[in-house]
Amino acid sequence: MDTKSRLEEVFREVFDDEEIEITNEMTADDIEEWDSLTHVQLIVAVEEEFGCKFSTVEVMKLKNVGEFINLIDRKTGNA
Amino acid sequence: MNKRLDPNESISKILKMANALVKKPDENAVADRTGEPLKVAVLGTHSIQHFVNVLRLFLDREGIYADIYEGEYDGINMDVLDDTSELYRFKPDVCILMMRYSDVKLEKKEDVDAEMDYLKNLWSHLDKITGVTVLQTNFALPVVRSYNGLEAAYEESFGSLLRLLNMRLTSEHPTNVHIVDMEFLSSYYGKREWFDEGSYFLTKQGFNMKYLGPVAYETARIIKAVHGKTNKCLVLDLDNTIWGGVVGDDGALGIELDPHNPIGEAYRYFQQYVLSLKKRGVILAVNSKNDEDVAKEPFLKNADMILKLDDIACFCANWNDKASNMHYIAKSLNIGIDTLVFFDDNPAEREIIRKFCPSVTVIDVPVEPEKYVRALDEAAPFEWAAITKEDMARSDSYIENAKREAMQASFVDYNEYLKALEMRGKCGIVGAAEIERFAQLTNKSNQFNLRTQRYSEGEISVMLGDADTRCIYVSLSDKFTQYGVISCIILRRGNAENGFGPDDCFIDNWCMSCRVLKRGVENFAFETVIAEARQMGCKRIVGEYIRTKKNSMVEGFYARLGFEPMDNSDRVLYSYNLQKEDKKEKSWIQRVD
Repeated sequence: MDTKSRLEEVFREVFDDEEIEITNEMTADDIEEWDSLTHVQLIVAVEEEFGCKFSTVEVMKLKNVGEFINLIDRKTGNA
Repeated sequence: MNKRLDPNESISKILKMANALVKKPDENAVADRTGEPLKVAVLGTHSIQHFVNVLRLFLDREGIYADIYEGEYDGINMDVLDDTSELYRFKPDVCILMMRYSDVKLEKKEDVDAEMDYLKNLWSHLDKITGVTVLQTNFALPVVRSYNGLEAAYEESFGSLLRLLNMRLTSEHPTNVHIVDMEFLSSYYGKREWFDEGSYFLTKQGFNMKYLGPVAYETARIIKAVHGKTNKCLVLDLDNTIWGGVVGDDGALGIELDPHNPIGEAYRYFQQYVLSLKKRGVILAVNSKNDEDVAKEPFLKNADMILKLDDIACFCANWNDKASNMHYIAKSLNIGIDTLVFFDDNPAEREIIRKFCPSVTVIDVPVEPEKYVRALDEAAPFEWAAITKEDMARSDSYIENAKREAMQASFVDYNEYLKALEMRGKCGIVGAAEIERFAQLTNKSNQFNLRTQRYSEGEISVMLGDADTRCIYVSLSDKFTQYGVISCIILRRGNAENGFGPDDCFIDNWCMSCRVLKRGVENFAFETVIAEARQMGCKRIVGEYIRTKKNSMVEGFYARLGFEPMDNSDRVLYSYNLQKEDKKEKSWIQRVD
């Protein structure tokens, strides 16, 4: 499975919504449940799924889901 | 649904389950949610939102339905110091104060004093909430040391001052404050991972989120120990459990216990740990398939045995099935079968106990004997709210009971026996020295308990200050044992709540430890009850029996004491006229002050 599909699974788990389809342009504004609380949960879930750890700056700089995918690929050596 | 929840499960799974419990409690809760919820307040200097959800989940899995108040971020002072805050309106049963090392400024010893003053001030403010139990975290020592290798060599290093602060929490916390040992948890899981500076700076997580499970589990277990049932007795198998090999085949001297052999050492290590449990008040029993004489031989003849026959309160070695033996052990020790913990290397025996004695806690025993101690310790089946001096003496008193019984056999007349016991008793109003044990007994005793009213230590300390309430304790010793406090009685002047008038003295609670049955303690205590009721200016005493699954032994208690049954269709009530002269019962207990 590619990074995007795996990330989509994580989104579905965290936001408890089987119908979420992620896009590169997607941001927190697009998902109702995506607030500061679930954001922390999302980061932890992604770190667990991909076995990596994000730095403070990396997390702060994320603008949208596309950047998130790129970041994951960079951290896991897929890029 | 799988009831067992592993605190070390991945945190995203735990969070998901925690969220599911919030969203759809009816589908996901394990605890009974029909009664009143336990009110728990969580306050912290760092982010507690996720912790609150995870704690709710772990409480649920411990069978506790909780209503949780979540304080504002860094809102401890705001909530605790302001008597008009939301916290005081919520009136929690339990208040958790979560802190971390970055909250305290420690540069010299005086700063530790100041921090202790601050914390004590918080606790005494919280005391205004009737019956509240406070859970205060201690401080996980940080992973960085500005003194490097000299951190522990100087008293004024931050690490040393924090250790001092932790030690002072240990020695100076009042009895309604429980210390949650974050320093232990962080060391157990490893501080390198425990602290996650990034997530602290980013979202103010007090520690790495992957340890939310363990912290919530630890906290939930403490809450359960304060508000629920606790285990009392460790029931051990013998062969391949406390020694290697089979005594029936290998002989008392042939079993594996040699301290110069790694296997023998592992079994001795386990025995040593079991002995340390006994010293803190856990009762020990044996449940073994063996001939009794053969099973006892190692205890008598093998010098490498650490456990002695005198450490075992109930020795049950026979060829009966182990489930029946469990019932026998509970009965002979006069404790509930649901307070037993079973430790046996044989998975088949464990399965039988799980199936036929489902209320017994069964430990998953690993195959390797060197892992026994950790398995038992990590299962923490003896999580108690407090360890009192009565606890420390308890396991011995069960053994002394056996000696007492041997003495009893030599007397033809029971009164002669009671006289020969040379009992001395004390009966009076509860003070600071008795309150911890008074609360413990009030919450633990099931069989000799007339109304089974449970009160926390906080609630009892409120009663002590109430002019219309008397908390009376009885302590006892005899020529074999110092029992300490063994009976608790709470008297209340009649009021609208209990349904009686101001001339009535209502016995709100009367319980007694079953270790001192048939000694005349009840009559001894009743003399004091009468005196106190008269001193309150009452004309009669009213007693009530509320039936539970376990207290049938006291059904006729008040009638035996000379009370008259009262007409009442809803409640089982008895009255005792204080305006008549009392009948004096012969007592063998010498009253001491």
